[in-house]
Amino acid sequence: MENPLLEVKNVDIFYGDAQAVRDVSFHVDKGQIIALVGANGAGKSTLLNAISSFNQVRNGGILFLGKSIARLKPEEVATMGISHVPEGRRLFSRLTVLENLELGAYPANTRPFLKKSLDRAFALFPLLKERTHQSAGTLSGGEQQMLAIARALMARPVLLMLDEPSLGLAPIFVRRLFETIEALNKDGVTILLVEQNIPQTLRIADYAYVLQTGTLKMEGRAENLISDPNFQQAFLGLMRAKT
Amino acid sequence: MTGFPSFAIFFKVLMNGVLVGCMYGVAAIGLSLIFGCMEIVFIAQGAVMILAAFCIYWMFTWTSIDPFFGFLVIIPIFLGFGWIMYTGLFQRVAKAGKNPSLLLAFGLMVLLEHVMSLIWSPNTRTVSTSYSASALRVSGIIISFTRLMVSIVALITTGLVFLFLKKTMLGKAVRGVSEDMRAAALLGISPVRVSAATFSIGIALAGIAGVATSITYPFDPYFGFLFSLKALIAVAFGGLGSVEGAFLGGIILGVLESLSSYTISAGWADAVAYVAFLIILVMRPKGLLGRSVEKI
Repeated sequence: MENPLLEVKNVDIFYGDAQAVRDVSFHVDKGQIIALVGANGAGKSTLLNAISSFNQVRNGGILFLGKSIARLKPEEVATMGISHVPEGRRLFSRLTVLENLELGAYPANTRPFLKKSLDRAFALFPLLKERTHQSAGTLSGGEQQMLAIARALMARPVLLMLDEPSLGLAPIFVRRLFETIEALNKDGVTILLVEQNIPQTLRIADYAYVLQTGTLKMEGRAENLISDPNFQQAFLGLMRAKT
Repeated sequence: MTGFPSFAIFFKVLMNGVLVGCMYGVAAIGLSLIFGCMEIVFIAQGAVMILAAFCIYWMFTWTSIDPFFGFLVIIPIFLGFGWIMYTGLFQRVAKAGKNPSLLLAFGLMVLLEHVMSLIWSPNTRTVSTSYSASALRVSGIIISFTRLMVSIVALITTGLVFLFLKKTMLGKAVRGVSEDMRAAALLGISPVRVSAATFSIGIALAGIAGVATSITYPFDPYFGFLFSLKALIAVAFGGLGSVEGAFLGGIILGVLESLSSYTISAGWADAVAYVAFLIILVMRPKGLLGRSVEKI
């Protein structure tokens, strides 16, 4: 069997003395949409930040394309083909839309494709084209999320990690966002999606991991989880709140 | 307080302020870039400047090469100097937080001042060329030739820095890193490399201001500290993180000093500048041009 694209093996992550993630393992296969779901503080973002090398892993390992990436610098992880759209989007608010996108293709191995990537970004998000010279801080929440995703795609990533992309968006934008994620996946981008919007997420995901207070509670094919009574019981509140 | 006897004199005083302010402006841009990117108040900026001034002094004394040629010599040397200073010193200390960086900058300033004083003596130096005393007369107003030329260099420098930040990928990365270092790293931009580049540019700008100083002013090894303060005030005037603001802040400061030293007395120029500085800090902490940064 082919190696998984990303493999997280038995990782423990600490913030100071407090353990945030305990012995979590999961893997992401090429071409899939994998979801990490769970309530606030379950350790979802902590795991994404560990993959991006902002958080150090105390025990366990993280392999991307079979190579360990746990000790790399964040910018080195990014140039290997992992694009991470962080929670809160973190756009450069004082830079224009165009400049944000250009910086997405900053690394030497992606810069030659800048023009092509820009065309692709504008084809995917035509709205951004109308706003190229506007500073990113003046965009609406939904537009900012589009820009954040478009910026991450500028690096032509193999794996796109999205941290709560639907947070704070109007319902209409949420629906479009999930359609976009599906479309990107059909285009060949593997996606690791962290979300609290469980119904929408499970609708598009191939496989999901359920985290609770830093440990892996459940996993399974998305369609199986939805009908699993244990899962329903644990997340009924969240599912109702978000539908 | 004396008024101005004629418009020509008022204009001359004003122009003098603008010309001096251009130099403050260049030094202030350097400070602003370094602070924006690394959050270091690089208090040694003035000492670095005086180092450049001494280099020009000796170059002129030994070889008689025109000091204006010094701009071309100083820029590459100080870019390299800045790179070494960042990777050798500030990058290592940065991990320990911001206060050690400030202490390091302060230590560097004291070290530079004393080394310069030991090697070259604390005497005041002047670079006097054949044209140092010449002046231009434009419709009744006398403008010092060297100051005018130096201001033109300062304007060109500012324009180039502005273009660099707006048009080049590295320049955009500098602005990106200044706003959100983590987000930049997520895009594969190395904050360390971008910081080193920014620091080098800041040092080169100090070098340019130093060459300008050597051409227009007498200086001694300790003259730099005052200049660091002035550049800091200019940055506060203009608002952090904006090149135009820092440059304009320098000009405002120069004009303010020039007007007050004419209308009150030379001794009061600094006092007026510091009072204005305090007023700005209290009334408009983000500077005159400072924009509020929306949090995304």
